[in-house]
Amino acid sequence: MIRHPLAWGAWTTAALAAAFIDRNPYLQALLLLVVINVFLPYRGRRRAGTWKFALALALVPILFSAALSRFGQHVLFTLPAVPIIGGRWTLDAVAFGASTGFALLLTVAVFAVLQTAVHSADFVAILPRPLYRAGTTVALALAFAPKTLAAFQSIREARQLRGQRTGWRSAPALLLPLLLTTLERALQYGESLDARGFGSGRRSRYRPFRWTAPDVLVVVASVTAIVAIALLPVAPYNPYLDLVPAVPNPARLLAVGLLAVPAVSASLSRVDHARHHA
Amino acid sequence: MPVITLDAVSYRYPEADRPALSEITAAVEPGEVILLRGPSGSGKSTLLRCLNGLVPHSTGGQFRGRVLVCGLDTREHPPRQLGTHIGFVFQHPDAQFVLEDVEAELAFGLENLGLNRSLMRKRVEEVIDQVGINPLRRRRIDSLSGGERQRVAIAAALAMHPDALVLDEPTSQLDPQAAEDVLQVVLRLVAELGMTTVIAEHRVERIAPFVDRIWTLDAGVLRDQPPRIALAEGGARPPVVDLALRAGWTPIPLGLRDARVFAQRLPADPTPRPSPARAEGDFRDGAGPVVCRVEGLDHRYDAAPAVQGLSLTLRRGQVVALMGRNGSGKTTLLRLIAGLMRPQRGSITHDGVAAYVPQDADSLLFAPTVDEELRGQSAEVVAPFAAWLHRYPRDLSSGERQQLAIALMGARADLLLLDEPTRGLDPAVKRALSAYLRTRASGGAAILVATHDVEWAARTADRVLLMADGEIYADGPPAMVLSDSLVFATQISKLVGRGWLLPEEVPL
Repeated sequence: MIRHPLAWGAWTTAALAAAFIDRNPYLQALLLLVVINVFLPYRGRRRAGTWKFALALALVPILFSAALSRFGQHVLFTLPAVPIIGGRWTLDAVAFGASTGFALLLTVAVFAVLQTAVHSADFVAILPRPLYRAGTTVALALAFAPKTLAAFQSIREARQLRGQRTGWRSAPALLLPLLLTTLERALQYGESLDARGFGSGRRSRYRPFRWTAPDVLVVVASVTAIVAIALLPVAPYNPYLDLVPAVPNPARLLAVGLLAVPAVSASLSRVDHARHHA
Repeated sequence: MPVITLDAVSYRYPEADRPALSEITAAVEPGEVILLRGPSGSGKSTLLRCLNGLVPHSTGGQFRGRVLVCGLDTREHPPRQLGTHIGFVFQHPDAQFVLEDVEAELAFGLENLGLNRSLMRKRVEEVIDQVGINPLRRRRIDSLSGGERQRVAIAAALAMHPDALVLDEPTSQLDPQAAEDVLQVVLRLVAELGMTTVIAEHRVERIAPFVDRIWTLDAGVLRDQPPRIALAEGGARPPVVDLALRAGWTPIPLGLRDARVFAQRLPADPTPRPSPARAEGDFRDGAGPVVCRVEGLDHRYDAAPAVQGLSLTLRRGQVVALMGRNGSGKTTLLRLIAGLMRPQRGSITHDGVAAYVPQDADSLLFAPTVDEELRGQSAEVVAPFAAWLHRYPRDLSSGERQQLAIALMGARADLLLLDEPTRGLDPAVKRALSAYLRTRASGGAAILVATHDVEWAARTADRVLLMADGEIYADGPPAMVLSDSLVFATQISKLVGRGWLLPEEVPL
């Protein structure tokens, strides 16, 4: 498995570059496959919520584009002349929205992989010494977000139990208890950090990061992919000009394919494991 | 030399009008085990926080006197330096972790000490074995249960090789099995390492046999006594001690094992407790008017069933205790009856208003004063809180908050549904809660309480339901259900048997 946070950093950069720059559906589909494969070894660590969110996010541009754009030759149906959504709905506009939605989906997926594969504490650990305290503070704040959300839900439910309104208009009334709960927790965290000697100046690492061969390979592959994506001619996709996407340059396909290295390394180490146990 | 010395310690929180601790002088010798007792709000947490310098360094306020930890004065050394001497375990299992997985968490304190890697590794491996958490080492903290978290917290404290462990009600948020696992760890460290330990704990009956001294705090004043004297005087104490005092057994047995010898002196053939329900064959659920009828209830989360094929009738005038291990479906059942969730199958019919008080009653209170919380309630409901009306609800002790939340929610309810209301409460507050529920029941309400607290249920309930795997597998009066159980048995029923549950009932 890839462990070094910097290796994951390089992979994320390359994958995001591919997601932003290439709008060609073939490349996007390939990238999605790659990202899913890289994610698979970590699937136990994450709930399905992120993926539902990503899919919902991807649907938004499709709806917007289809409802608002009147361009394109391939008419699906025509609505009567009501404001904004009236007129011709075209397949071209749907395809254009889908292409944008696909890019959003890929972006969320790449970040989900990064978040799942690397603990925020590992990122903190590679920070240079002067940034360490600040980094830990940020990591703690991030760890707080889900807890604050849970507190918000319990406060909302409490209001409901007491027969008070829970709609958006009651949000200010929810905010104060939420703030108090969060502050109380933060104080407890502070005490715990203090009691465990945090910030006493000295500092060593329990698990220093070593560059392993797979880590280095991922960095090399990612850098190569970034260079290729930046230098090779872009594979654009404009459904209004041509609904059927052009077949991309094979070198570009190969560049996106390089991003599968973490998945390959994970499956190899699994095979290795299996052999040890056999 | 004592590990900890308290020398005329007084402390007052900023802006408080009364001192939290006054003139405390005591010492902890190496290897001693000290139990700290006292009603909630008596200053137990404050006192324990003095031992590693959190008071006054993190709290501010007015501190007088002197605390010496291994010769270091806590006024001059901040908590992060005292951390190597005092391993501290907090009450709330979720607010003391920094990193994401167990092993990193165990090493966190060692990293802060700047130890080299091979020494850290050795320490981590050792505490993993000492505390017995090898199966947890690769787990993520957020996947651990409360009891597992507390064991990890103990291991993390132990890894620093402290001179003493200080535990602030480590089990008050846990169910009995998890609490037992955590106390097992503490007792093992005491037995195997001779670990110097100061522990505040409500489960007195579990640790009383192992302690050297008992510190009893009341309104900031400390009494430092040998266990038998402290327990005879009062406060939280094991039921066997109550029985021993009634029966005049000396020396007072502190645990079941000591008590067995004395128990043989009890009349050999007392009439077993009259048990009409058992005589009649099967138990009838009472005679009062039905307030809620549940039939064929089914509910599952994803694939796991939480409640299955459950039928139940609740009647006015009854306090019903719902017991069972964590995850047996108790909370789901309460929430279904309260109408917070819709059942997937089956029916729930109400005749009256139902009110539900969740485990974390704190979130129910958010007005700036008690007075405002109680606005619109009848004078009868407000009366018991007359003394606190101007206070800020979150400054009340946990028992007081619980009381306020129950009064608020249950004021007009015909059916009161409570989830673990006694968790973390001291004996006096539990008795008050018990009395309140009895009064409400005799006033015509029906009460269903999910609880792990066997002793309290035996004292409070008319009827006990045992639940496992989403089903009710035992239903009857406490004397019947709680006396022939291994897990849900009171200490007296383990000692005397024959259907007797409480120390005051046993015929002498």
